[in-house]
Amino acid sequence: MKIQTLLLLVGLLLPQLSVANGPPKEVNFPEGVSTERLGGDLWREVRQRDIQSSGISQVKGVESGVLINANGDLWARFRMQELTTYGGIAIAAIFAIIVLFYVVRGRVPIEGGLSGNMVRRFTDYERIVHWTLAIVFLFLATTGLILLFGRPLLLPLFGKEAFSLMASASKEGHNLFGPLFLVSLIMMLISFARRNIYERGDMTWLLRGGGLIGDGHASGGFFNMGEKTWYWMVILIGLVIAISGLILVSPNFGQGRTIMSLAHVIHTIGALILIAVSIGHMYLGSIGSEGALEGMKTGYVDINWADAHHDRWGKVCHEENLIISAEEYARLVGQRPATADEMATAEQGK
Amino acid sequence: MIEYLIDGPLWYFSLAVFAIGVVWHLVSIIFASRKQDLSVARSSSTSGALRTVFSRFVPHKEMTSKIGLQLVAGYLFHLGLFALLFFAAPHVIFLEENLLGFGWTPMPHWAFIVSAQAAFLGLIMLWVRRMVNPVSRLISTWDDHTAAILTFVVMLTGCFALLEGSTGLRLLHRFTVELWLIYFPFSALMHTFTFIPSRAFTGAWFGRRGIDA
Repeated sequence: MKIQTLLLLVGLLLPQLSVANGPPKEVNFPEGVSTERLGGDLWREVRQRDIQSSGISQVKGVESGVLINANGDLWARFRMQELTTYGGIAIAAIFAIIVLFYVVRGRVPIEGGLSGNMVRRFTDYERIVHWTLAIVFLFLATTGLILLFGRPLLLPLFGKEAFSLMASASKEGHNLFGPLFLVSLIMMLISFARRNIYERGDMTWLLRGGGLIGDGHASGGFFNMGEKTWYWMVILIGLVIAISGLILVSPNFGQGRTIMSLAHVIHTIGALILIAVSIGHMYLGSIGSEGALEGMKTGYVDINWADAHHDRWGKVCHEENLIISAEEYARLVGQRPATADEMATAEQGK
Repeated sequence: MIEYLIDGPLWYFSLAVFAIGVVWHLVSIIFASRKQDLSVARSSSTSGALRTVFSRFVPHKEMTSKIGLQLVAGYLFHLGLFALLFFAAPHVIFLEENLLGFGWTPMPHWAFIVSAQAAFLGLIMLWVRRMVNPVSRLISTWDDHTAAILTFVVMLTGCFALLEGSTGLRLLHRFTVELWLIYFPFSALMHTFTFIPSRAFTGAWFGRRGIDA
């Protein structure tokens, strides 16, 4: 096949070259090659629709002998059509579900309201690790979404010149911040893995839909089943994203275009899954659940919140007398203690 | 028009504000009137000053375990930024062509990228710690936050312009650098220079009294 292609190319070029050297000479084509549809056969061979083959090239490098990679076209179509379309639908659907959930259910209040008595949930170091990962993730998600959806969404809005700046900046920023995600992920793995190991009782939480099914209360430990699952998703899918990202950003380690295409598809699907679930995580950790943000903001949570969402851990806090008063909490976090009126106003405003 | 402004007048203005501001600030610190020290010198204040300037680069071992993250993040950021500023190829070329008239061997591209990543990670972690730790948050001022965010923005626009193929992104980076230079002398960023006289003053005072600290 390769020899035939080469001979055909030579056959095509020779008459052109011969123009300068006098009248065209007759070319002897190999047996089996149709001279009636010469162009068609030639480009079918070059195109390599039927079979992938590699030729010989002076250029030394991975796949340098492949003239056209037909799989590249397949990947490009998948990226521009399926990936962009279904990825966009998935992200939009998650947004819609969360808005709908908030409209129907509203902010989930703490049973019995805020007590003002607090319990330590996270150390400074754990919160630094969490927020560092969050900042890096949000940056990568934003730049990644610009790269994925920029052409259909942003190009018509901002025009070619502005979009080319955004896309170029996003690509450079995304590539530079990628390895920081891996470092943050490893820090997250080391800091939180022990408390995220599944244990007896977690399944009950799942069967009760995290409190959404039944009487609204699902038993949970320091981390409940949902949080643990989210944590392991971040670690495992995050590692897949990071490794596939490194494959994409370092093309000089011998990986061919097929591996690069595959890495890109895995990278994008993994990232879309994490982005979609992270929207839910951000919602539940902030406006969706009263008192939840305090844990990552100050490191302390209201004991009533602990009892409501993590009753097994709350019980330990009661037994081991880990609860501190509102005054002590205010002193520890450098705040003025809330007055009774402010507490009442906060309760009424819910 | 914008290109002319950023590459021309604004660049020279920001450079002048930076240079005059830094010199004025340092001179005013060095020549500030101080009470004469009437104590009997137990040891050399000069050696105390010199020792302290360098000894403060390493924390006391009693503190190391408590400030491990600050220590690592602090060095990541400062060393990364130093390497970026003075050894990244685009900066070396820029300094040679626009300021100094001579250059030096820049670091390879991979080292440039690693330095940038180290600086970014260090800065993010230090800023998050500032917000998360109650004591740091309490003693932090708007100036501290502005200095950190402005430095981050300068680094970020530099990262965006890494490809060196877009005039718009280059101008954006240069504009943020100019804002940074103008803000520098009036802000916490002055610690880039003042850490030396500050340590030396403390060290001299300790040295004269024979305090080994």
